[in-house]
Amino acid sequence: MSLSDLAPHRYPLVWRWIIERVWRVEHAFERAHADGRAENDTRIRIFAVLAVFLVGFVVMAAGAVYSATLSGAGQGGRTVAGVAKRGDLVDREGRLLAANLTHYTLSVDVREIWSKRETRTALLAALPQLRAKDLDRALKAEKRGVVLRGLTPAEKARIHDLGLPGVVFDPEERRVFPLGALAAHLLGYDEKGGAPVAGAERALRDEILKAGAEGKTVPLSIDVRVQAALEEELAAAANEYHPRGAVGVITNVQSGEILAMASWPDFDPNFPGRATDEQRLNRAAASVFEMGSTFKAFTVAIGLDTHVATPDSTFDTSTPLKMGYRTIHDFHGTNRILTLREVFNHSSNIGTAKLALSIGPDRMSRYFAALGLTKRAKVELLESTRPLTPKKWDEDDMASVSFGHGINVSPLALAQAMGALLNGGRLLPLTIRKLDPAHRPAGERVVSEETTLSMLQIMRGNVVGGTGRKADAPGLMVGGKTGTGEKYDPEIRAYSHYKQVGSFAAVFPTDGPVGADRYFVLILLDEPQGGIRTGGWVAAPAVGRTIDRIAPFLGVQRRAIAPPPQTMMATARVVPPQPESGL
Amino acid sequence: MIRAMFNHRTRGFRTINVLLASAMLTLAVGVNLAKTFAGKERTEIGRVERDIRKEKTTIRVLEAEVAHLEQPERLERLSRAYLSMAPVTIRQEATADNIFEVAQKSVASRPAPPPIPADNPEPMPEFDPVAAAVVVEPGQ
Repeated sequence: MSLSDLAPHRYPLVWRWIIERVWRVEHAFERAHADGRAENDTRIRIFAVLAVFLVGFVVMAAGAVYSATLSGAGQGGRTVAGVAKRGDLVDREGRLLAANLTHYTLSVDVREIWSKRETRTALLAALPQLRAKDLDRALKAEKRGVVLRGLTPAEKARIHDLGLPGVVFDPEERRVFPLGALAAHLLGYDEKGGAPVAGAERALRDEILKAGAEGKTVPLSIDVRVQAALEEELAAAANEYHPRGAVGVITNVQSGEILAMASWPDFDPNFPGRATDEQRLNRAAASVFEMGSTFKAFTVAIGLDTHVATPDSTFDTSTPLKMGYRTIHDFHGTNRILTLREVFNHSSNIGTAKLALSIGPDRMSRYFAALGLTKRAKVELLESTRPLTPKKWDEDDMASVSFGHGINVSPLALAQAMGALLNGGRLLPLTIRKLDPAHRPAGERVVSEETTLSMLQIMRGNVVGGTGRKADAPGLMVGGKTGTGEKYDPEIRAYSHYKQVGSFAAVFPTDGPVGADRYFVLILLDEPQGGIRTGGWVAAPAVGRTIDRIAPFLGVQRRAIAPPPQTMMATARVVPPQPESGL
Repeated sequence: MIRAMFNHRTRGFRTINVLLASAMLTLAVGVNLAKTFAGKERTEIGRVERDIRKEKTTIRVLEAEVAHLEQPERLERLSRAYLSMAPVTIRQEATADNIFEVAQKSVASRPAPPPIPADNPEPMPEFDPVAAAVVVEPGQ
């Protein structure tokens, strides 16, 4: 290669510059050699080598000074093992729900222990939770053996103060849930390796990791006080009726925020391995139920929204409704003509089915899809499961679906759809993230505002003089609908009259403009035991007590107790308690 | 010039060698001194940072303990047990607007005072203009 080969198109500029310099030095040596000045040639070479070494030493010296004084290298700080650094989870008021805390793993190094017997006795006395067999196994190991994980700093200090040789502590990060079982299903838990597998921990994993890196917290939508009240009332109802499981959900219908969500039986997310699958199951999101008569709220709302009926339209419920091979009965028939309000208050299957037939399968199926009842509930939780819907939407299936049979949805899906009926008609996705209180999310319109106002009145009427009277809370204008669904029993290959799902879906307060702050409360008991298992009997009282307790936390002012307005009572005859009615 | 630089001698030693050896010695001594002085500061900084980490860990543990102790269910249980407190009922709630009405009902529900004997009439209290001026206005 020669200088003539260094054409610009062949080599980049920098490379060409370097090659030119190398050639120039080499030619200088050659010229010196040709001139017979060999000593000069050698000296120049020595000088060049010296210069290179000098530059190298200067660079190394500068690096040494930098490393010694400025870089901060070697200043210590052990790497902490365990789960990745995650941000704290807090409730909507900033109360701590989950945090990363440094724990310690206790190990013993038998090579440094001078008396195994003394070490064994001291450790067992200082740590009551320590199992002797675990300690013995570690003491029999040839090298270092782990004795116990998850020691708190206080426990570590206690052991440290014993001054035992050969006892070693390794720090590790652990996810801690200081409120124990409270909101366990919503928060989620970690698997053994430290990875989140459920709840908000799993659903918001990236967000929580980012917050942890930035030293921030992740605020959730729930309110710890509301959550505690719901869980307490749910547990009280469960202790009374011994169901297979129970669910409680409270949402803000104007924002879609989940203020509380509970599944019974619960578990302590600090020790998920001690819980059974039944305990870890999030029934609010991951289970589907035939809700029964709470679905009548949807049918009535669709009837009003399509102008097929008004609250005062009448339906003949005096005789059972024959649909092909089967007959639809009322659980406790009135055997007379009822207005739509009375159909709702008496929870008449016949009246609701006739309304659905008037609406027609096409419109019913379109409304059900628009209400989100044919898909999984839109919420961050990955547990949210798909509903079981009819294979075809003909008149027969439509009549069943109109009063909540033949369709299984999750409690969260029910809450999402009810929210649309009660917030002015906007279908909002549910969320476990805290939203800006000043911002109200826009949603796809499903029903009109007039329909919402009518439904609020009708649902209030049901609590004032219908099947939901046990859910009333003084001064809080509670409205709602009972629901009792029969479960399919594989043993008898038919719906069981004994395995039922009792629920109550409530809204409060029902007064005020359509955009007023309003809350939805659902309590559901799966297979309650006892003589009376209807939603109005097993779930409605728990809803009333829950609302009475949470109203102050939500800023809902109690109204002076006044007689119900005439519009509600005009056609709402007081329904006596019907423990055997199935309402 | 280069030749002169290499040939120049001071007391028999090549000047260039002396200069380079001096530079090397200066650098070595400088680095050593810098490390010595910085080492003390670094140790102190390390100790303070360890203390800060320890305090932060303690604070986080305390925060978690506070959250654990302030569980709503626990506070409610303790309030009922030791303070005889209970949830507020609707009869115990009032707004500034209806406080006058509540006061009237309270007065109306009191038993009538016993009649004052004619021979021992209760003395009339002296008129206090300051007290009379303090009137609770509805809505305040």
